Amino acid sequence: MSFSHANIAVEFRHLSKSYGDFSALKNIDLKIAAGEVVVVCGPSGSGKSTLIRTINRLESYDQGDILVSGQSTRSLRGRDLQQLRTGIGFVFQQFNLYAHLTARDNITIALVQVLGLSKRVAEERADVLLEKVGLPDKGDHFPSQLSGGQQQRVAIARTLAMEPSIILFDEPTSALDPEMIGEVLNVIRQLAHTGITMVVVTHEMGFARELADRIVFMDQGEVLEVASPEQFFSQAQHPRAQRFLQQILPSHSSATS
Amino acid sequence: MNSFHFDWGGVLTGSPAAWLVAGLVNTILITVTGTFVASLLAIVLLLGRTSSAHYARYLAQAIVMGFRNTPLLVQLFFWYFAVYPALPEWFRDWVIADHWFSPLPFGFRCISPEFVCACLGLSWFTGAFLAEELRAGLKAVPLAQSEAALTQGFSHWKTFRYILLPQAMRNAWQPIVGQYLNLMKLSSLASSIGFAEIIYSTREIESFNAHAIEAYAVGTLLYLILGLLMGQLFVSFGPGQIKRNNVVARVALSGFLHRLRFLS
Amino acid sequence: MIFDLSVITDNWSYLLFGRTVDGEIGGLLLTLLMSLSAGMLALIFGILAAVISWRFQGWTRRVLYSGAEFIRSIPLILVIFWLYFLLPRFLGRNISGVTTVILSIAWFSAASVMHATLSGIEALSFGQVEAGLASGMSYWQVLRHILLPQAVPNLIPSYIGLFVALIKDTSLALVVNVPELTTVANQVNSRTQIYPAEIFLFIGVIYFVICTVLSELPRLLVKRTHQHLKFANSI
Repeated sequence: MSFSHANIAVEFRHLSKSYGDFSALKNIDLKIAAGEVVVVCGPSGSGKSTLIRTINRLESYDQGDILVSGQSTRSLRGRDLQQLRTGIGFVFQQFNLYAHLTARDNITIALVQVLGLSKRVAEERADVLLEKVGLPDKGDHFPSQLSGGQQQRVAIARTLAMEPSIILFDEPTSALDPEMIGEVLNVIRQLAHTGITMVVVTHEMGFARELADRIVFMDQGEVLEVASPEQFFSQAQHPRAQRFLQQILPSHSSATS
Repeated sequence: MNSFHFDWGGVLTGSPAAWLVAGLVNTILITVTGTFVASLLAIVLLLGRTSSAHYARYLAQAIVMGFRNTPLLVQLFFWYFAVYPALPEWFRDWVIADHWFSPLPFGFRCISPEFVCACLGLSWFTGAFLAEELRAGLKAVPLAQSEAALTQGFSHWKTFRYILLPQAMRNAWQPIVGQYLNLMKLSSLASSIGFAEIIYSTREIESFNAHAIEAYAVGTLLYLILGLLMGQLFVSFGPGQIKRNNVVARVALSGFLHRLRFLS
Repeated sequence: MIFDLSVITDNWSYLLFGRTVDGEIGGLLLTLLMSLSAGMLALIFGILAAVISWRFQGWTRRVLYSGAEFIRSIPLILVIFWLYFLLPRFLGRNISGVTTVILSIAWFSAASVMHATLSGIEALSFGQVEAGLASGMSYWQVLRHILLPQAVPNLIPSYIGLFVALIKDTSLALVVNVPELTTVANQVNSRTQIYPAEIFLFIGVIYFVICTVLSELPRLLVKRTHQHLKFANSI
């Protein structure tokens, strides 16, 4: 797949990160096109979460560079780093909603404090998004009053409110009870191919097969295989990828309700 | 205002030095005695707090609250001016009489009315705080422990003495040590009732040759060293921590917050 | 033993107000004023120190921690003496005893406020910090909008406990002859000689009432502030 320079949303160039002797990321080279949906998968400890967390610098890195929309992010600091982050959404495994704020306030706080929108505009946007994720009447509820699935949907609404061009998902359904995974995947499905670049770390292979443009397989800090879903699931090349698929697919039910 | 010219000799030789040494000895003495008596009082108060008898609980709670919520200085004055003169005469005579252990070098006395009052004041004050720390530590001991002991035939008292109290102490060891260290520092207040500990000596030196800063510097150093030594002592001879679920973390945090209710 | 309360009734205004009528505030009034001043200073600087050491880990935090450790390892009396001697020299002018005591106690307590606040902040889940940073907030915005609004209500019981200790600490003003409640009571006792029990019990009761009421406040406050989160437990 060849990319024209202007259409690359995220580019990793020789990215490496280590903790002392342990290498978390080894020489990653990867290009993600604008609007693409990329699923990153692999066994635990493969570095998938670390990889996407380097994009908005929740994790630092030692060598190499990450270009976001063509701009190097290696030496961004302070205001510039904040600026970068406003354009990149992040959905956490543990939702990470602000415990002391209602669902609506969770969505509006960054709009008001970071983007400088007026409270009224922010609340209007929040209500639209709450509707979009299927929680129109939960605006005044606190996170502790919401189920896991509902909390994650609010978290996604919170991310969407900033109107980012890139959204990163770090195992968005791994902390959910099975019956709630579907509602969250539904919301994510609606976002796919709407022009937002999505990088999703997940174990939900049915979802990957259905929505991903490309699958990135990682193990032990390295990107071992990058392929389209058809190719990956039927003819994975790398032996470790094959082994991974064998382990994960028989026990995995494609729950994409 | 004189410039910063220090004359350490004026403080570290002759009478000033003697006073400092005597002050140090007295501080150590009152700390050791106070720690001992405070611990005994704390256990008695704890027994009262956890007793099944109505009146014992209320009495113990009243005593603990009374001593915790008033300043130590006021308590010291009360012991010294109000209580001590009301003590039986034979006791007071015994205190001021010369015993083999009374006279310390350089004219300072070991047992004196001031010592007795300082000891009473510090012990009751610290004992009340210790009782609360122990109570928190006791609460963190699972009920299962005393149930096990009772089924084995332990009496209530023996359960308390051999099973509950040791675990309570281990749970609350950090805040307990904090209280002992605090006792050592609070002994400085006894100078106000004339007890010749470190601060008293530094003030003597100040009026003797006006070397206030040098004297206070030495005093500060002495307290720092004492604190370090005491801390080390308790760490080395203290019990290990029981790691049971979150007890350590919970009690550590609550003990931390307790320790922060620092007192005077 | 019969208590002769005449000494109290004769001196009550001196004990409660000192020589306020002559322009020199004293007695219980001075105790309360000093406590409030020192308390506010301790709160402000303690929280500030906590926030700074949270934001700038590494040697900034270590310096602040060591400073706090040091100040609490020496008796408060010595801190008062040190400030009493050093402040006039450093500032080049006379500092009143009241100011010295207020500053000493404030510094002493600020160390505890710092520890408490820091542990209160760090008890919150770090995920919320990451969520805030990920949406482009600065560390200070995260502190102001996410962490402190959650940490401070939880910390109020600790703060009140520290304030109670601070009120008791004001009695140490005796050593620099500041006429707060304990000093004034001591003066009355030296003058009248024969009523020590009545005098010290009286001020003891005053301190007791103030401290006990304050100590029980958290329990009452908790009931009220958690009302809006009450339903949070009813999922």
